[in-house]
Amino acid sequence: MWLWNKLKQLAISLRAGVVTLHYPFEPRPAPAGFRGQPVWDHTKCIGCAGCANHCPARTIFLRDICQEVRILLYDSARCTYCGRCVDLCPEKAITMSDKFELATDNRQDLTQAIELFMMTCQRCGRCYDLEIKNYIDRLTLLGYRYDSLEVRKVIKKSTSEFQPEMLEKTATYQRPERLEK
Amino acid sequence: MAKKEELRELLKAELKDDFIGEELAGERRLFVDVHNRALVKTAEILMKQGARYQVGVGYESRKGGRGLALVHTFAFDNDALIVIVRTFAPEDNPEFDSLTPIIPGAGWSERECIDLLGFRFKNHPGPKRLVLSDDWPEGIYPLRHDVPHDLMPPATRDVVFRLEQPPPGTSIVPFGPFHSSLHEPAHFSVYVDGENIKGCEYRGFMTHRGIEKLAQTELTYNDVPFVAERICGICGSVHSVNYAQAVEAAAGIKISRRAEFIRVVMLELERLHSHLLWLGVAGHLIGFDTVFMQAWRIRERIMWLAERLTGNRKTYGMVIVGGVRRDINKEKAEDIKQVLKEVEREMLSLEKAIINDKTIHKRTRGVGYLSKEDALKWNLIGPVARARGIAIDARKDHPYAAYDELEFEVPVVDYGDVWGTLVVRVKEVYEAINIIRQCLNKMPADGPLAIDLDAPIPSGRQALSVVEAPRGEAVHYVLTGEENKPERWRVRAPTYANLQAVPEMLMNNKLADFPIIVGSIDPCISCTDRVVVIEIGLQKIKVMRKEELETISRKMRFEG
Amino acid sequence: MKVAAIFINLAYFLLLAPFLEGVMRKLTARIQSRQGPPLYQPYLDLLKLLGKENIVSSKNWAFRLAPLLAFSSMLAVVLLVPLAGAENLLSHSSDLMTLIYLLTLSGFSILVGALASGNPFAGVGASREMMTIIMLEPVLAMTLILGAVKSESFTISSALSGIGRNHGFSYFLMLVVYLLALQAFVSRQPFDIPEAEVEILEGPYVEYSGPNYALFRYTLNIKRMFYAWLFVVSFLNFVPSGNFWLKLLLETAGILILFVLISVIGATHPRFRIDQAIKYYTLLVVLSLIAIGLGVKGW
Repeated sequence: MWLWNKLKQLAISLRAGVVTLHYPFEPRPAPAGFRGQPVWDHTKCIGCAGCANHCPARTIFLRDICQEVRILLYDSARCTYCGRCVDLCPEKAITMSDKFELATDNRQDLTQAIELFMMTCQRCGRCYDLEIKNYIDRLTLLGYRYDSLEVRKVIKKSTSEFQPEMLEKTATYQRPERLEK
Repeated sequence: MAKKEELRELLKAELKDDFIGEELAGERRLFVDVHNRALVKTAEILMKQGARYQVGVGYESRKGGRGLALVHTFAFDNDALIVIVRTFAPEDNPEFDSLTPIIPGAGWSERECIDLLGFRFKNHPGPKRLVLSDDWPEGIYPLRHDVPHDLMPPATRDVVFRLEQPPPGTSIVPFGPFHSSLHEPAHFSVYVDGENIKGCEYRGFMTHRGIEKLAQTELTYNDVPFVAERICGICGSVHSVNYAQAVEAAAGIKISRRAEFIRVVMLELERLHSHLLWLGVAGHLIGFDTVFMQAWRIRERIMWLAERLTGNRKTYGMVIVGGVRRDINKEKAEDIKQVLKEVEREMLSLEKAIINDKTIHKRTRGVGYLSKEDALKWNLIGPVARARGIAIDARKDHPYAAYDELEFEVPVVDYGDVWGTLVVRVKEVYEAINIIRQCLNKMPADGPLAIDLDAPIPSGRQALSVVEAPRGEAVHYVLTGEENKPERWRVRAPTYANLQAVPEMLMNNKLADFPIIVGSIDPCISCTDRVVVIEIGLQKIKVMRKEELETISRKMRFEG
Repeated sequence: MKVAAIFINLAYFLLLAPFLEGVMRKLTARIQSRQGPPLYQPYLDLLKLLGKENIVSSKNWAFRLAPLLAFSSMLAVVLLVPLAGAENLLSHSSDLMTLIYLLTLSGFSILVGALASGNPFAGVGASREMMTIIMLEPVLAMTLILGAVKSESFTISSALSGIGRNHGFSYFLMLVVYLLALQAFVSRQPFDIPEAEVEILEGPYVEYSGPNYALFRYTLNIKRMFYAWLFVVSFLNFVPSGNFWLKLLLETAGILILFVLISVIGATHPRFRIDQAIKYYTLLVVLSLIAIGLGVKGW
């Protein structure tokens, strides 16, 4: 009885064989639909800030550094890869890639920043609003945001409450290519 | 239904003037407002009627001038009814009567209210600090609305939690905060006499992440499901479904039937992998690593399946308020069926190999014994209760999502020990496979995944939702608020209820059985610890100075 | 030759012992459907540990002394034994009592180290270790005494060869007892109770690190090899003494087979509790006493 049980246990093990994968040496591609690192397509992005407003981890930041240029910064350090931004993007400018090997010693490797040239009338961005039928989602759309890119902090403010002092810090904003050096 | 009327009449007749008001939210919930002084009496009446205590929720009303509120919920499992007793106290004198003397399982909920909201409880047997870290300053109650979510009081070094003195003739063996049999930080100070355990004290809540506070301040309704999912690394979907159900109930949203079926599939997949995980961990805890590895090998198929279905192995991210995010189409359904077939076959052979193994019986039978009466006294739930002859299962008793349409059995055994929990969990694996198969067959072919929410969620509504997690019943209580965010969201994870009875289970067992007894409730410390505000380094770290740790952690937080 | 034999003993045990642990780990891994570490991994582990900082967590001098004492007494044991039937200078001038005492000393110094560390887990581990020593040493002693009874001599080599002199009842009974006790001698599941990683965090060794821990690990490796070797030479002593190297090869093969057995049993059993184990050990002691009785009778 005892021996029979032990033999059964051994049989299970031997039938399965070695299942450990030679993982780092043999690449293991992610399946279709995998939620890896999100990637922004700057040609499609209209700068509507839908992703920034709905990121549960609050890790997508937005700042208008002048009348024409808007910066969208994605900081993957806090990203939970939920894919909410992809769902909500009206222009399908964001895709969840299959990249998951994201360990790095330089945070800049994973940070994505897009500089978008916006029309002078910044209100145009609100066309995004009409795309969203979900009322819960619509509630958070307050307008443009002036997040602090330096400390990666979300500052939710609508354009009507825009304060010029907030722009002072934009002088210290470093463009990504400069940061790399 | 009849029970609801009966209880209503009974409470009205018994409480007279102390019965302030009621709210009939659907068939299965009864909200009762009672006067502060009649709380214990109400609880006694309900317990006499066969109620099971679930959870106590404290909150601060933002409007209405009612000050602080305390909510106790009682489940009537045979009648699919949950009675929610609300009572109020003014802000300057938040004193309530303690239910702990008559319901021991209420002890933690009340201690949590003391810590987080500054309530006071009369006749509480041990109002020690439960949730907050030891150096959190007195008089700051994190869940009050005037405390910001990112408050970081300066740390002090000379404060420690005062553990009780061990009974005479025993010595203390400290298990935790870091111990190889505890997979998450928690501290058990175990009193031993030789190898025999003579008692124990628990100090947990070391991994508070302030999730509830965060949801009430920073996040919006549809952000919370993703945070709720991260309450637990094993049963995340349980919490996001539970939260979404609570919000939907509060707002009166009816989601599509198809979405409900998809939610059930995800919940049962989660139960499958969780039970296999537990089986492996149980093997490891009794030193049988081959069971560990083989159970996890079988489990891995389910993880890969989940990755193909949802895009991630564990945090599925499937649930939002109003439905689900990804579909299970024909192709995916076939994939699920194929994986289930393989898992069932492998599980059967594993079960055959271990179920009659005398060496495993030796380590699990009669270990961690708790009688049915004690289990009822402590309001145990989940497999831990079902191993002690108590047939409770939220899927049957309080059907949610699509469970009313599904046929399944609730395995119940009366061993009353660790072995019983093992048998129950192994049987539940087959039930879960059965349920998923039924779901795939019965799922309506069309229907929106998520419905459009065309009106804002009204504020001031309350709802309670239960979901049977792999470890037992999880309870979520939601009070809707202004500005598109919940005003109060309370999570009662199953471990919260079961862990309180662990000292009793440990009594008079051998020290060697400590890991498997604690393991038998499948403790999920991070579920239990979800509340508080800031992570603060432990007092006892010797090698790295605390200030260094703190500088590092704060630096990471702000500067990266 | 007799002096050279000492060095052969030393090299044989020191070099082969970590390899056998590698075999054990590889086999266990395979049973658990894992890849497993390479066979030479234990050598690397020992080297790594030897290169690390020695953290001394106790002011008690016994804490520092214990690993050295354990290792050196284990080395002394393997120096005494007649490898492949070839007596060396030392085995000539010692007897069974020396062997048993040295073995006990090695186990005893683990106890001393554990108690000196003052860690509650080490304390629990030490008490378990103590009970194991008390219950298991007699079984080992009886095995050797059976050989002494049969060969009517107390020298090591004659006692070892004496067990298999005639294959009577006592031989078979003792063989079964030794096999049943082997798992406990080498402290693998189900009898790795004193170490019990998930319960008491490696028990006696919990406070040890670096070179001190390496010495304990090495001691344990050699001890395991020694017990397997003891079984091979005393119970499976069929090969007539002739070619030294051939005999050494056969003994090594025997040890390897025993290690396969140990690994398979270890990987398919949960750990017992100390109270369950003690009942089992008691049975073994009684059986071994009966075997001695039979041996005295000449059966």
